[in-house]
Amino acid sequence: MKSKKFSLILIIILIFLSFYKISNESRFEKWSKILLCPVCQGEVIYDSPSEYASDMKDILQEQIKTGYTDEQIYNFWVTRYGERIVTDNIARNFEIILIPIAIISIFIIIFLRKIYAKK
Amino acid sequence: MISSIGILTSWLLFLLLALVFITNNLLKINIYVRLIVFLNVCLFLLLEIGLFFDDFTVSYISNYSASTTPPLYKFASLWGALDGSILLWNLTLSLFMYFYLKNFKINTSNVDIKIYSSILFFFVGYTIFSSSPFAGCIEANEIGCNLSTLLPFQDLVSSQIGRGPNPLLQNHPLMAIHPPFLYIGYVGMSAPFVASVSRLVLKETSSEWVNVAQKLTFIPWLFLTIGISLGAVWSYEVLGWGGYWAWDPVENVSFIPWLLSTAFLHSAKVTKHNNSLLNWNYVLVGLMFLSTLFGTFITRSGVLISVHAFSNGTIGTYLLIGMLIFSLLFLYIGSINRRYFISSEKLKNKFGRSGFFIANNILLFSSAIVVFIGTIYPLFYETIFSRQITIGRNYFDVLVGPILLLLIFLMIFSIKLSIKNINLKKLYEDNIIFINSSLLISIIFLMLFNRSFNLVVTISISFILISLITLNIIKNFNKKGNSSYWAGQIAHLGLGVLAIGIILNFTQSFSQEIEINSFDNFIFSENNYQIYDIVQENLPEKTELKLPISNGKITKFTSLNIFNNSSQQAISSPAIFRNLIKDSYISIKSINNNTFKLIVRENFGISIIWIGLFITSTSFLPKLKLRK
Repeated sequence: MKSKKFSLILIIILIFLSFYKISNESRFEKWSKILLCPVCQGEVIYDSPSEYASDMKDILQEQIKTGYTDEQIYNFWVTRYGERIVTDNIARNFEIILIPIAIISIFIIIFLRKIYAKK
Repeated sequence: MISSIGILTSWLLFLLLALVFITNNLLKINIYVRLIVFLNVCLFLLLEIGLFFDDFTVSYISNYSASTTPPLYKFASLWGALDGSILLWNLTLSLFMYFYLKNFKINTSNVDIKIYSSILFFFVGYTIFSSSPFAGCIEANEIGCNLSTLLPFQDLVSSQIGRGPNPLLQNHPLMAIHPPFLYIGYVGMSAPFVASVSRLVLKETSSEWVNVAQKLTFIPWLFLTIGISLGAVWSYEVLGWGGYWAWDPVENVSFIPWLLSTAFLHSAKVTKHNNSLLNWNYVLVGLMFLSTLFGTFITRSGVLISVHAFSNGTIGTYLLIGMLIFSLLFLYIGSINRRYFISSEKLKNKFGRSGFFIANNILLFSSAIVVFIGTIYPLFYETIFSRQITIGRNYFDVLVGPILLLLIFLMIFSIKLSIKNINLKKLYEDNIIFINSSLLISIIFLMLFNRSFNLVVTISISFILISLITLNIIKNFNKKGNSSYWAGQIAHLGLGVLAIGIILNFTQSFSQEIEINSFDNFIFSENNYQIYDIVQENLPEKTELKLPISNGKITKFTSLNIFNNSSQQAISSPAIFRNLIKDSYISIKSINNNTFKLIVRENFGISIIWIGLFITSTSFLPKLKLRK
């Protein structure tokens, strides 16, 4: 317990565990967590108990059974409801991630310059 | 009657605030402030009396209460909608103003209390010129009121029936507690703002204002923490969707002041230590207050879609003007003190004690930026591209998640921050037994779950944090130490526990829809549940369809609540079978004769989340004990 080697072994086991990923999320689950319920207030259909969301889930279930690709599913819903229906925009609108990262970087540079003495 | 008294009292209040602004006699100011508090209490009580006596000549009461509403929810209806909630807001603000006057008033000038009164002046002005909870009804509907007047002594009419509060707001007693806590936290952020700005108007040259502002921030911070936690509990217990946090715009705008005030509580310590970061602290204190105004604007103006939003046409512009005025004040005071801020000591040592606080500030402020952008980006997008876009959990999970994890990691080092410089090697060697056993326990613990990278990292870091802080508290608490250090340790302990709950919930939870008849069994996640016959209860304000569900040991109810006089759909209350590691959460989706559609969820880590939030909320305890 007191040795550094033991720490190292434990950390290696943890690293091994972290790559050993078991995912049980189905495609249906993935998509129902992405699609917004249009009649609810900001809920995805996975969370929403409304009838509307339920109908949407049935359609989605059907699409996955018939073997729609992700692209097809995306196009189906977006052409009917607009981009608003998809809550997972990161892959498609990459600027959403880039804008905050850019602002944070600028902030950190200015902040550190202001508070630390120049050498 | 109530309408006229209320409107006249508001005018009187407005007048008194103007008097505070022009008087320079401290004795008079003292009397006026007490009167202002008294009038605010009167207004609060007056509306409560109206609510309890069902005075439907008051437009607000006829639109947001009903004679069938149970007493507790009548009481809570005062803050159940926009106009009434401003009343609670003003009462809280006046109490903070009084508290400030008693304890933190500048001796040489009255400028601080004038700035304070101008903030209250602004919000009382809203109830006079824009929209008042005491507005009398001049055109009634069968249910509720159509048209109202802001003038006293009008011929008022009364609707037959009140509309009642929003169904979501009369479904759980927490609704009576969650908003006041949040308001105290929100409104309280005005105190450090006033304290700093007014001290800098007088061109104070010491860093005393940081000290005062820090003392004034802890109470609102604590209430905000508790308020947000209660909101999470309420969401889980009432809304029936099985979650506790949705990155909903309104949740976000309560989280931004929390992040900023947490950052300030840390950075103020650096200033106390070596007179540095004066400019940065000023920025934080200003943004803390302005972000609460921004939050109110977002919530109340109806620019965003949210569960919490209750909009009203006029308040948006009004709040925007307020934000502009107070931002200009903040910038102006900042600019006249440029010399002073430039004189702020620069830090020399990048590592060591202050380095941790700087890292903490960078991370917390970055999270605030991320949350802010995520909240307003859809608005921008719509304005620029005329298309709507939704920013979902994914954005926040990807960006905020890692930042919060880094913060948890940094907290491990907080146990040694009472010393000037930190020796990482020694910290590791001194605690090697506990670090190793935490890692070992993490490995065993992780075997129980579906593993992924974020789960493994979060669990092992949190376990180390929890074990080291617990050890620190047990070993050193009775030895000398300052109260804010121990408050911090308890808060960090709670956050470590919270992180475990959140990551379990995030990575492990799953759900299923089940269609079933009464007296049927179903099996979900190795448990056998049975449903008995449906029970219908007719209460004055609602019809409740209750479904008893047994898991073999205990029976719980899940119900569908259909409220009278409400256009909204039925509200589903879940049956929750609780457990430390996971809850079974069953809610009704629809009922069709004797066929029920249920949503069954396995929610992991919820109890752990509550425990973590509870521990963080008790972080004020050392301050009570060690003060004596």
